[in-house]
Amino acid sequence: MKEKPATVFVVDDDEAVRTSLRLLLKSVGLPVETFASAQEFLDQFDPDRAGCLVLDIRMPGMSGLELQQHLNDRHSIMPVVFITGHGDVPMAVEAMQAGAVDFIQKPFRDQDLIDRINRALEKDREMRSQLRERDEIRRRMSQLTPREREVLELVTQGKANKVIAGDLNVSQRTVEIHRARVMEKMGANSLAHLVRMVIEAHREG
Amino acid sequence: MKPAPEAARSGGATSIAELELRAVLDAAVDAVIIIDSGGMIETFSRAAERLFGYSSAEVVGRNASMLMPEPFRSQHDGYINHHIRTGEKRIIGKGREVVAQRRDGSLFPVSLAVGRIEGVDPPRFVGFIHDITDRKRVVEALRRERDRAQAYLDLAEVMLLALDANGTISLVNRKGCEILGWPEDELVGRNWFDTCLPADLRADVRSMFARFFDGTASPAQYAEHDVLTRGGERKLIAWRNVLLRDERGLVSGTLSSGEDITEQRNAIEALRNSEQLLRDAQSIANLGNYETTLPDGPADWSAQMYAILGTDPADGPLTLKAYVERCVHPDDRARFMSAWHRLVDEREPLDVEYRIVRPDGSSHYVHSIGRIAQGDHGLLQVVGTLHDITDRKRAEEESRQAQDRLTQFSRLSTMGEMAAGLAHEINQPLTAIANYAQALQRMLAAPQGADPDDVTLALEQISAQALRAGEVIRRLRSFVKNREAKTEIVDPARLISDLLVFAEPDARLNDIRLQVEHGDALPPVACDPVQIQQVLLNLIRNAIDATIEAGTPSRRIVLRARLDDDGAVEVSVEDRGTGISPEVAENLGNPFFTTKAAGTGLGIAISRSILRAHGGRLAHRATPGGGATVFFTLPAMPWSEK
Repeated sequence: MKEKPATVFVVDDDEAVRTSLRLLLKSVGLPVETFASAQEFLDQFDPDRAGCLVLDIRMPGMSGLELQQHLNDRHSIMPVVFITGHGDVPMAVEAMQAGAVDFIQKPFRDQDLIDRINRALEKDREMRSQLRERDEIRRRMSQLTPREREVLELVTQGKANKVIAGDLNVSQRTVEIHRARVMEKMGANSLAHLVRMVIEAHREG
Repeated sequence: MKPAPEAARSGGATSIAELELRAVLDAAVDAVIIIDSGGMIETFSRAAERLFGYSSAEVVGRNASMLMPEPFRSQHDGYINHHIRTGEKRIIGKGREVVAQRRDGSLFPVSLAVGRIEGVDPPRFVGFIHDITDRKRVVEALRRERDRAQAYLDLAEVMLLALDANGTISLVNRKGCEILGWPEDELVGRNWFDTCLPADLRADVRSMFARFFDGTASPAQYAEHDVLTRGGERKLIAWRNVLLRDERGLVSGTLSSGEDITEQRNAIEALRNSEQLLRDAQSIANLGNYETTLPDGPADWSAQMYAILGTDPADGPLTLKAYVERCVHPDDRARFMSAWHRLVDEREPLDVEYRIVRPDGSSHYVHSIGRIAQGDHGLLQVVGTLHDITDRKRAEEESRQAQDRLTQFSRLSTMGEMAAGLAHEINQPLTAIANYAQALQRMLAAPQGADPDDVTLALEQISAQALRAGEVIRRLRSFVKNREAKTEIVDPARLISDLLVFAEPDARLNDIRLQVEHGDALPPVACDPVQIQQVLLNLIRNAIDATIEAGTPSRRIVLRARLDDDGAVEVSVEDRGTGISPEVAENLGNPFFTTKAAGTGLGIAISRSILRAHGGRLAHRATPGGGATVFFTLPAMPWSEK
C-alpha cells in the first residue's frame, strides 16, 4: 500500500477562512485539502489516509461536532483540531470530551495553529505506527496453531511450564517446544515482550 | 202767566195761598206734579207742561201713570196702594232716576223726588221731576271716555301705574295686573312700596319716589328695578315716570310705565354668559376664531387670536398681508399661502399646521382650520379657527423622543442577544486576514521565495476581507446608532436580504437554517427600513429561541414576504418551535411581559408600536404541524411610486 503524505484536511463553510488557511499551511509546507462542508469531507473520507482534521465547530447543515461523531462511529483515528468562535467554549468542551486533540479560538496566531496541527500530525503518526504494530501482532497471532494459542494464553497469564503441562495434560517437554514456536512466530525476544504484544493485540480498534 | 185751570174748576174760590203756591210751582225749574191717593193728577206745573208736552188741562184728573212707559205705567197704581196700605216708603223721601214718557211718546230720563203731603186724608203726593237727559249724556260720554282710556291702558303692552303722594296705587292696567299677579280690584288702594317691591329695594325706591316730590330728582329718567309679584317672584321692570300735578300745579302723584325686561335681561345674561364661556373655552383650549371677508377684510378676531399671536387687541385684526408678514414664520409662509389659495380659489377646506412668530420672537406651532361661508350682504368670508398646538407638538416631540430612546434601547438589547452571531460574523474576515498576512510573511521569508500568484491572492483577499468586516460593522453601527426615524420607499425582499447579515450568524451559531422564500415580485413599501428590520430581527431572535427551546429536529426558520388578501405586504417568520400558548398570546405585546430569563419584555411591544406608526400590524398564527408564525403587514405602495 502506497502511503500518501500526511495531509491537513480543512473543513470550513467560510470561503475566506478556508482559502486563507490553505495558503497559510501551504506556506509552512503542509499539504492541505479544503472542504466547504462536513458532508463533502465525509464523502471522500479514507480512514487509511494520514493527516489531521481542522474543523470549524459551527457550520450550516452538519456541524463540526456532528462530523466528529460520524468519524468516531467509523473508528477513525484522525486527530481533530477544532476552530471555535468567540463564546463557543461549551461546544469546545464537548468536542474535547468526544476525543478532539485540541481547539483554537478565532482569530488566532498562525504559530499557535501550526503547533496544534503539528501535534495532531505527530499524534496521527504515533497512532498509525501503533496501529501498524498491532496489525502485525494480530497477523502473527493468526499464524499460531490452536495448541500454540492455548500455550500463549497460559504463558501470558504467567503460569510455569509445569503447570501448563498439567493444565493441557501434556508433557512439560511438549510445552517447552510449543512455547519456543510461539516466541519464534510472534518475534518475541522475551516473555515481557510477548505479554505486551498480547495486550496490544487485545486493544480496541 | 195765565190762570191755572184747576183753580177755575175748583169753583173760583182762589185763596192768596193758592195763588202764591201757584206762582211758586210755575216758577220752579223742575216739573211739579201733585196727585191724589188714586194717582190722579191734581196739579201740573208749567215746567211739567214744558217737560211732558201736555197742557195742564189735558192731564189734570187723569192717572199720572200716563206720564211713564210700561212697565212702570202698570205698576204705578200698585205702588201707591201698597204705600197707603202698608206705609212702606219705596220712593217717597228719596230721589230716584226713572224713565218718563212725553206726549209724543218719546222717553227721557228724569230724576224723581216724591213727597207725601201730610195732614190730608186720603193722602196726596207731590212729585218733583227733573229732566236729566243732558246730565245722563255727559255722564255717559264720560263713562265711555273712561272706558276707552281704560281700554287703551289695558291694550298697552306695558304696565301703567299711578301712585298718589303716599304711594297708594290709584290706577294699574291689565298688563300691570298680569305682571304683578294681582286682580285689579285688590291692587288698587294698596301701598305700592309695601305690596309690590322686594324688601331689599323698598327703602331705595321709596326715597327716589320722595325725591320726585320734593323736586330733587327728575322723574323723566329711566330706571330699572325689580318688582315682587304676588307669587313672590322677582321681575325686572324698566320704568319711565312722569309726575301728575293738581290744578294748582303741585305734584299729586306719579304715572309710570313699566316694561317687563326679565326675559330680555335673562337673555342678555345668557348671552353674556355664553360669550364669557366661549372666551373661557377659547382661552383654555388656546383656540381663537376669526372671520375674514374676502378678498382681504374686514376681519373679526376673537380675543384668543390676539393671545395666541401675541398682538395687541387694540390694533385689531391684521390684514392677510400683514398677518403673513408679521405673524407667519418665514419658512412656513409659502405653505400657508398655498393652503389659503386652495381654500379661496378651489374651496378646499383649510387645514394647515404652521409656525407663527410672536413679536417677542418666540415661535409657536398653530393649526388652522377654515372654510368658505356666505357672510352678510352675500359677501364670501373665511370662517376659521386658529389653535395653538405648541404644547401638543412639544408633548408629541417628547413622546417621540422617549419612544426613540426605548426603540434604541430595545434595538441594543436585541443586538446584545445577537452579539454572539455578530462576533462570529466579524471574526470570520478577521481570521482570514490574519491567516493571509501570516502566510505572506512566511512565504516571503522562505528561502525559495514566494509564489507570486499566492502573494497576489493573499493581498487581494486581505483587502476584501477587511472591507467585509468593515461592512458588517458599518451596518451594525447604522442599526444601533441613535437616529432620527426616516421613511424610505423600499423593496420588501431587499429589506429581508439586508437583514440576513445580522440574523444568519446567530441562526448558524444555533445550528438553525434561516431560509428565505421570495414569491413574486412585491410592491414597494414606505417605511423606516432600520425600524422594520429591528422588528424582523426581533421576530427572528424569538423564533431562534423557540426553536432551541423546543429541541425539534426541524431546525429551520422560514422568512416569507407576500401580498396578503387585503393587498398589504406581509412578512412572516415561521418556526417549528414551542409555539405560542394562549396565556402567552394574551400577554403578548404587554411591555415587560417576557418568557425569557434575560428578556426585557419590550421587543414585541416596541415592534407593535413601530408597526402602528407605519400603518401596519403585528400578529401571529400557529405553524401547521407545530410552532408559531409571527407576521407583520405594511401598506403596499402603488408600483408607480417606486
